[in-house]
Amino acid sequence: MLTAFRNIKEEKMTLIRFRASPEQDVDLSRTYDAVVVGSGAAGGMAAHVLTSQGMKVLLLEAGKKIPIEQELRSMQWPYDHPRRGDAPPGYHAIRFNEYNIRKPPYAKGSAFKHVFSYVGGWGGSDYVKNILVDEKDNPYTGTKYAWVRARLLGGKTNIWGRLALRLSDYDFKGKTHDGYGEDWPISYADLEPYYDKVDLYLGISGHKENLPHLPDSLFQRPNKLTAPEVKLRKSLATMGRTLTPYRAGVTTDGVKNKYRSKCFGRGACGRRPGGCDIHAAFDSPTGLIYPAMDTGNLTLRTNSTAHEVLVDPNTGKARGVSFVDSQNHRTYEAKAKVVILAASTLESARLLLLSKSRQHPNCIGNSSGHVGHNFCEHVMGPGVTGLVKEMVGAPPTLDDGKPGGFYVPRFRNLQDKQPGFVRGYGFEGSSGFGLFPDSAWGTPGFGGQFKKSVREHAGAFISMGAFGEVLARYENYVDIDPEVKDAWGIPALRFHYEFSDNEKKMCEDMANAGKEMFEAAGIEVVGVDKNILTEGWSIHELGTARMGNDPKTSVLNQFQQSHDVKNLFVVDGSSHVSASCQNPTWTIMALAWRSCEHLADEFKRGNL
Amino acid sequence: MKISRRKMIQATAAAVSLPALAKALSPSPKPLFFTPAEFALVDEMSDMIIPTDQQSAGARAAGVAAFIDARLAESFEKDQPERWRAGIKAVEALSREMHGKTFMASTPEQRLALLTRIAAAESDPKSDAEKFFGVIKSGTIRAYYTSKIGIHDDQQYKGNVIQPGEYAGFDAT
Repeated sequence: MLTAFRNIKEEKMTLIRFRASPEQDVDLSRTYDAVVVGSGAAGGMAAHVLTSQGMKVLLLEAGKKIPIEQELRSMQWPYDHPRRGDAPPGYHAIRFNEYNIRKPPYAKGSAFKHVFSYVGGWGGSDYVKNILVDEKDNPYTGTKYAWVRARLLGGKTNIWGRLALRLSDYDFKGKTHDGYGEDWPISYADLEPYYDKVDLYLGISGHKENLPHLPDSLFQRPNKLTAPEVKLRKSLATMGRTLTPYRAGVTTDGVKNKYRSKCFGRGACGRRPGGCDIHAAFDSPTGLIYPAMDTGNLTLRTNSTAHEVLVDPNTGKARGVSFVDSQNHRTYEAKAKVVILAASTLESARLLLLSKSRQHPNCIGNSSGHVGHNFCEHVMGPGVTGLVKEMVGAPPTLDDGKPGGFYVPRFRNLQDKQPGFVRGYGFEGSSGFGLFPDSAWGTPGFGGQFKKSVREHAGAFISMGAFGEVLARYENYVDIDPEVKDAWGIPALRFHYEFSDNEKKMCEDMANAGKEMFEAAGIEVVGVDKNILTEGWSIHELGTARMGNDPKTSVLNQFQQSHDVKNLFVVDGSSHVSASCQNPTWTIMALAWRSCEHLADEFKRGNL
Repeated sequence: MKISRRKMIQATAAAVSLPALAKALSPSPKPLFFTPAEFALVDEMSDMIIPTDQQSAGARAAGVAAFIDARLAESFEKDQPERWRAGIKAVEALSREMHGKTFMASTPEQRLALLTRIAAAESDPKSDAEKFFGVIKSGTIRAYYTSKIGIHDDQQYKGNVIQPGEYAGFDAT
């Protein structure tokens, strides 16, 4: 099959091996040990752990399997693309204003042939037009929400931002620390060995900082900083704060995996939505699923949209799932001894809420009434842009040959207590020369002077934007819309979700703190953004089926196992008790690893 | 080890298979959307916005007008091409008002005077001609800085290369 790159001397650039499409001959007459719904970070991890323990697993993915390298074309120059990266006419990405002025379903009544979430307009929609869902086929209703979904093998891991952070006991024991919400039923010590396993199996790049609130991973070599970032790092250190190279879920030294290459610092990941066509950045198919298939224990069926967890009428236990084939629109049953949901925080909640039976009239696993509730995420928008004067006129350097810029971990409400809000936020930022001189948009005038100014300033800017913890609140929830259905006749999800005063106050602080940090470093602040982006923008939705020790106030136990139905597990972000302000993917995978190890033990003992 | 740009393009070319589309959208002598007169105006004005200087060639050499023309010709949203056409009309009307002739029939000094006038209101454009300055300037920026000339000759962009050894940059020490 096609490979995007030739081998470059002794360095092997790519080792991609395509498999034949396996789903045609999937045997649905047999009862699998486990069926996993969803093939993203959580589902891929479940498949990896369970198959390595010898269990026979059927993995259902709602989307298709596509030759992803041909979609991503990571090193394609803009001028080698007929539309310089844009999608063909008739494709539309929802704009910020549309999210806020209109109500979902956003594609309703649209004249465009295809409508995508805002990510479709971010740096080149032609590269994600077959990755993101078409909003026309996948409506949702209720309050405004920028819901980004990727239906294909691997889900959003195909285009994720790759910032791979650990949580700490400031997160797991947040209630103990500040009195708000609920503690997780685990502590950092419980999860640390599994974070280590994820680090070693998938590879992570970063620099050790010894911070109690952002534990270090087992890092491969870090990415480098630019001169302005070194300057800011030094200044922040005097304030007791940290700027660290982007902790990327990217293997920089390589891992033992024939489907993945190490990172060669090509840098296209910084200018397009995520994707890495040599799979140095983690994605679920090459990192987890293909190796799991090589064990002989994994069966994959794509184009399979689960819409109900099936229940044994005698025992009330799960006996499998019902799914629609998205190509032929027929409904099938997959039978399994254990059912594992990993369809994403919101899709897993939708699937639980759709699974009503005589035994579970309030939907499966919902005796607590908490399914769909305590929905949380990260709030973003506020940020700051600065001009580093000594960089004006500096000769161009290679600044963007890396998966991300820098990260400033949380510094609020650790030792201090902020008057306006609880919890905290971190900043993601970048600086230096990029493929496109963004400052051209704001440079006034025209002609030789304009052109010279753009050139001289191209590498002189630094910017960062914050990601803050949205508090988990029972009142923020999703349920099933009584009328609207998707293209396959499955009832749509309905949102009842908005930011609280805590988030708004936190956002004010983000903008001020960002400005102060730049000024303290001697960076001229040229822009302060105070606007809060639409709910959902961070693509970090969490917490619709939270874990807990008390079955009355939580859906899952500490092993992501339903309190009510012991052979039902939900191993994705829906299990998170609070959002933290750290990006969730690495925690999703560490938790899934821990739970699935437990699951396999229990399965072998006959306890499920 | 340094990988030449030409080599890199060859390497990536394998991943691209849109030859028919590329051909349909490649610059052609006959504009696809603009009239020849409109095309000449856009070509000239874009080259005044980003002209040739000691560092690099300008918008004309980078094929800015042809890229804009091809995109407008296939535009799904009809208000986009209409906006360009109306803007060009407004510029021509202003040119006749200022100099008694079309933009392209004017002297280089007269064209510069017109462009300077509509650019003066850049931060708060009122008239259609003033608004057109923002339209053609952003179109020119987008097309020029994604062109070969813009990326390699003007910006001398160093990225999108393979770094087999140490990454470029500074350690976090």
